[in-house]
Amino acid sequence: MSYFALAALELTLLGLLSGLAGTLIVLRRRSFFAVALSHATFPGGVVFALVGWNLLLGQALFAGVLVVLMTLLSRVPGQGRQVASGVVLSFGFALGTLLASLNPGLGVPVEALLVGSPLAVAPTDVAATGAVLVVALAILVLSWRRILFHTFDPIGFAASGFRVWPVELVVTGVIAASVVVAMPAVGAILGVAVIVGPAAAARVLAPWLEWIPPISAVIGVSGGLIGLWASREFGIAAGGSVGLVITAMFLLALLARAVLSGRVGRRARRSGPVPATVKGRTTAEVRDAAAAEA
Amino acid sequence: MTPIHALADFGPAEVFALPFMWRALLTVAVLAVAAGVVGLFVSFRELEFVSDGLVHAVFPGLVVGSAIGGAAGLLPGAAIAAILAAVLFTVIERRGGIGADAAIAVVLTGLFSLGVVLVSRQEGYVSQLQELLFGRLLTVSAAELWQIAIVATAAVLIVLVTRRAQLYRAFDAAGAEAAGLRPFAADLQLGIAVALLVVAGVQALGVLMVIALLTVPMAAARLITRGFALLIPIAILLPLVAGVAGLWLSFEWSVGSGATVSPGAVVVLLLVALYGAAAVVRLVGGARSPRRTQAAGPADAGLAGVGAGAADASPEPEECR
Repeated sequence: MSYFALAALELTLLGLLSGLAGTLIVLRRRSFFAVALSHATFPGGVVFALVGWNLLLGQALFAGVLVVLMTLLSRVPGQGRQVASGVVLSFGFALGTLLASLNPGLGVPVEALLVGSPLAVAPTDVAATGAVLVVALAILVLSWRRILFHTFDPIGFAASGFRVWPVELVVTGVIAASVVVAMPAVGAILGVAVIVGPAAAARVLAPWLEWIPPISAVIGVSGGLIGLWASREFGIAAGGSVGLVITAMFLLALLARAVLSGRVGRRARRSGPVPATVKGRTTAEVRDAAAAEA
Repeated sequence: MTPIHALADFGPAEVFALPFMWRALLTVAVLAVAAGVVGLFVSFRELEFVSDGLVHAVFPGLVVGSAIGGAAGLLPGAAIAAILAAVLFTVIERRGGIGADAAIAVVLTGLFSLGVVLVSRQEGYVSQLQELLFGRLLTVSAAELWQIAIVATAAVLIVLVTRRAQLYRAFDAAGAEAAGLRPFAADLQLGIAVALLVVAGVQALGVLMVIALLTVPMAAARLITRGFALLIPIAILLPLVAGVAGLWLSFEWSVGSGATVSPGAVVVLLLVALYGAAAVVRLVGGARSPRRTQAAGPADAGLAGVGAGAADASPEPEECR
């Protein structure tokens, strides 16, 4: 298989994965977690590159360590998840930078680790992505209802006698695994672009919740492939090109919704001061937000 | 090699008397003071993720700036990009809703992608990318130090001038709005202050490690003290200690044993280590003496006000007074 076809296959699988993991990240608001995790896998890649082992394995191991670290930190009183993400991000990135700077010219592919290189993915990377996709699909098909219940009504969920930690474990596991397998193609900094971007665009467009995963998968796959084509056509970095195309699709989705609902929004804004709690959001959105915040 | 080996025998005082070490130390000191002041509101308003977004957004500005004006264009390019991004992120936060944090994630990766694509069109892609990402604390020139000082001062001034509005908004968003404070103006002023601090730190520490400066010192200070008055002094002191120790350590390391060290990374790792120590002390101390007072903190006010990142907030009430 040519390297170009391999890259296209990898980006297609990642696009499909964004329908699962991206939807979880968007609905459960774990974006900063995903961003911090993807940035902080950098030292794992550096260490394994120095030793000469599989980069993806190093990144996966380090991601596991960081998830544990973040979970511990968010248990410190007075420290929210945002703080834990910020600290772990700083720690991981600084460690990777130090390790890379200590070993110049030893073949550490710093720019590939950071911004990815879709055209250099190995068949094993594609296989790993495929495996994560299949496993995540199986797990989510089994636990989808429970995750949805916990996402939108955590108090009702707990009151119904369900345990919370299996949900958190499944969600965190799927997100972390997806972020890690995205690393070879789009790197530590842009890793979240392929996962979160399509789902965020799908959330803007989807009329119902169930539509988010399929729309996200379509946007993810087409965005990845268009980005790959653009990088070859214009001679630009492929990882950056994919990230840029997916962001453009998100902006187009916002624009489309603004045009479609423009009249309604304008009328709501003209009606003068509104109570701080509603602020132009629909009743459903306020209710969802309240459920998520509770 | 003899002159370099002779340097290894210097004590701390002689090391920091070297012009480039002196400038690096001053840079760290300026950034520590500015980060302590601005970081207070980053922490109170839970703007850690927005700060991360601003850090990424500066990158295309740096690339365009250096393409147009070389090294002299870096700071203006970064400043323009950062201020535009501050406006953008403030608007995203204002619109709120469930999608705000995902929107920040998409915009930050999008802007960073733009930077990567622009860099990849230029000569010397890899080395340029690495220099922008990892910073160069030891090669800050006198002129750059002045630029950093001016930009950081501007950031601190914005926060100091608007501090009453910012505090009111942080602790009681609805009350501030009812009292006639314009929340969007306050948010925008704070966003621009954070953006300017990012611009000040980005050349020295690199694009991504600036986030450490914005989030870690104040997070550690809030672990160490419950007194409001002590938050800023502690948040200034911690990066200062980490900066002095980190610079000296990386000097010893690179001159003494001939290794190439990224001083910015050493400083950030020491800062994170200080945070870790504070977290461990807090955990051990917290287990010994259970909390008596549970005052409502700014995080709870933030929940009602901004909405974004609220799910990421700690479920426990903050203690801050």
